[in-house]
Amino acid sequence: MSGWKITTEIAKRDLLDLWRAKMLLVFFILMPLLFMTMFGFIYPPTVQVNPYSGQIPSQYPNLELAIIQQDNGQIARNVEAQFIQIAESQGIFRVNEMTDYSTARNGIVKGQVTGIVVIPQGFSAAIQADAQATIQVTVDQTNPSVAAAVQSEVAEIFGAIESQISTQYLQNLDPTVNPTFALQPMTITSIPLIAGVPTSFEYLAPSFMALTVITGALNGVSTAISREKEQGTMDGILVAPIPRQSVILGKIAAQTVRGLIQGFLILGLSMLLFGVVIYGSPITMLLVMVLGVASFIGVGIIVTSLAPEQETAQMMTTLLQFPMMFLSGILFPIAQLPVAVQYIGKAFPLYYAADALRKVVILNASVSIIMPDLLVLLAYSVVTMAIAVPIFNRAMAR
Amino acid sequence: MIMTLQRTELAPLSEYAIETHRLTKKFGSFTAVDHIDLAVRKGEIYGFLGPNGAGKSTTIRMLCTLLKPTSGTGKVAGFNIDSEANEVRKRIGLVSEKLIMYTRLTAEQNLMFFGKLYGIDNAELKPKIEELLEMVKLTPFKDRSVGGFSSGMRQRMNVIRALIHDPEIIFLDEPTTALDPQSTKFVRDTIQDLKKGGHTIMLTTHIMEEADELSDTISIIDHGKIMATGTVTGLKKEYGTESMLEVFLTVTGRELRDSASDRVSMKAVGRM
Repeated sequence: MSGWKITTEIAKRDLLDLWRAKMLLVFFILMPLLFMTMFGFIYPPTVQVNPYSGQIPSQYPNLELAIIQQDNGQIARNVEAQFIQIAESQGIFRVNEMTDYSTARNGIVKGQVTGIVVIPQGFSAAIQADAQATIQVTVDQTNPSVAAAVQSEVAEIFGAIESQISTQYLQNLDPTVNPTFALQPMTITSIPLIAGVPTSFEYLAPSFMALTVITGALNGVSTAISREKEQGTMDGILVAPIPRQSVILGKIAAQTVRGLIQGFLILGLSMLLFGVVIYGSPITMLLVMVLGVASFIGVGIIVTSLAPEQETAQMMTTLLQFPMMFLSGILFPIAQLPVAVQYIGKAFPLYYAADALRKVVILNASVSIIMPDLLVLLAYSVVTMAIAVPIFNRAMAR
Repeated sequence: MIMTLQRTELAPLSEYAIETHRLTKKFGSFTAVDHIDLAVRKGEIYGFLGPNGAGKSTTIRMLCTLLKPTSGTGKVAGFNIDSEANEVRKRIGLVSEKLIMYTRLTAEQNLMFFGKLYGIDNAELKPKIEELLEMVKLTPFKDRSVGGFSSGMRQRMNVIRALIHDPEIIFLDEPTTALDPQSTKFVRDTIQDLKKGGHTIMLTTHIMEEADELSDTISIIDHGKIMATGTVTGLKKEYGTESMLEVFLTVTGRELRDSASDRVSMKAVGRM
């Protein structure tokens, strides 16, 4: 029997094994569904643009905010009313009017509010005297991400109010002046590469797809071979007159099919529930995913060859997966990381697979455009397999 | 007598089915098998006895091409176990105490898979599987998952899996461990039938009564070395006893064998 037929038989058996394990099959399908649904709601796809600022609102909607009015002037009261109206109608903040700063500060400590806006005494008088007025902002510094969002949203809302005050001021000075030009002589218009408002989810869907396929194959191969060694069934295979490479290739083929099924489940769900649009060719996507699997499968084989039992193999793959998941630009762009850490992230083939898949899925990139990513994946595949196969053969015959 | 197990003899290359010369296996500094010479005649049942960690399983695994010898040579069915491993594999079957079966798959699916590894096509495989299942009285269970089988049924499956390609030589590594008396008798009868069918059997067992009943020749290995070899009657005569157990204890000693070094050797050969 030829090596390819043996490879097919081994792959078919592994897939039949999954098919017959009904509970495992249910979780096999549920896992990507749960994963995607969870992240789909964390990063909601429908985004309303803030009509005042033209910006996409924060990923933290309806945060609790305290506002303290210390000025009795009409201008201060109008500014406060406008702030509350914009913040609440846009779902940016739920605003609590308070009178005392120390009570509001305690609110932050207790976790009841995320920030405090103070309109201080003399605000109205300053505006009336054509002097710059001050707004004081305090944010919850225990959560830097939320603090940055609060700071930025407060500035956005007050920016919109400032425009109105400045417009009024310029018209009072000289009715012939065009206040829009005076305040903003230039505007920036975005020409989108793709239709619609970009969302984090469009970034995440292809990334998760690449992650699921690659880590699925990595885990699958290493644990499947380790389990068979432990249970004894590997003896039954290795005592047969078959090429050793067929055993590895059969396992890889089965795990790749499993990974691809999960990957396309993720993609299908992203399209159905979260409105992700696929602009690229499915064939190119398949090519990226198969090369992605090939680039990392050698590592899985090395793990299974070195691990004395299945549990150790699982620990070893988990150890690899965690940094790969966080540093390869799956959850957030790699540019957010310090430069030194970016180099580590770029050492994982997952970075190139996710990058290529994003370009294909979102930007309809052709094979020639993603060729640099594909070449890196190919290089990883060749090098890791060249190391893995002799190690596997030696481990099997010790 | 199981007619289906009658095999067509290949042209004999020598009168021995298994031969080793100074066969040695080391795991690091630990010598599991130490320069052993074996000669198993064609068509005989060769009892290979020894305490835990003596080197039995390591020897069997080398002869089955699952382990590479550190030094020395071995021939199985006339082929070198190192340089002609695939030729050896075509001619041997392995029955171990471990279940070499996928528990989620049915009996038939398991046999189909292992049969295909030997290049047997569907047309030939289906009737062969039916015959083998019938032989071990498991036909009514052919569509059941092996995971639901009793230990006796599992071991019967293990035996017929090793026979799917009609091997010349069958290695049985403690095939009756933990079986009930009925299943034990069934496996022993099958071993005798295999011998009558012209197969060569190499059997490891801790059950002296089994070795006594089945073996034509017995070798006792301890600390990786062959301590005694002979026919059952010859060994009993040599050691002046009627009991194989007495022969075994005289050769290997009476102290318990659960020392750390034994456990190291078991781990090293992948049996723990």
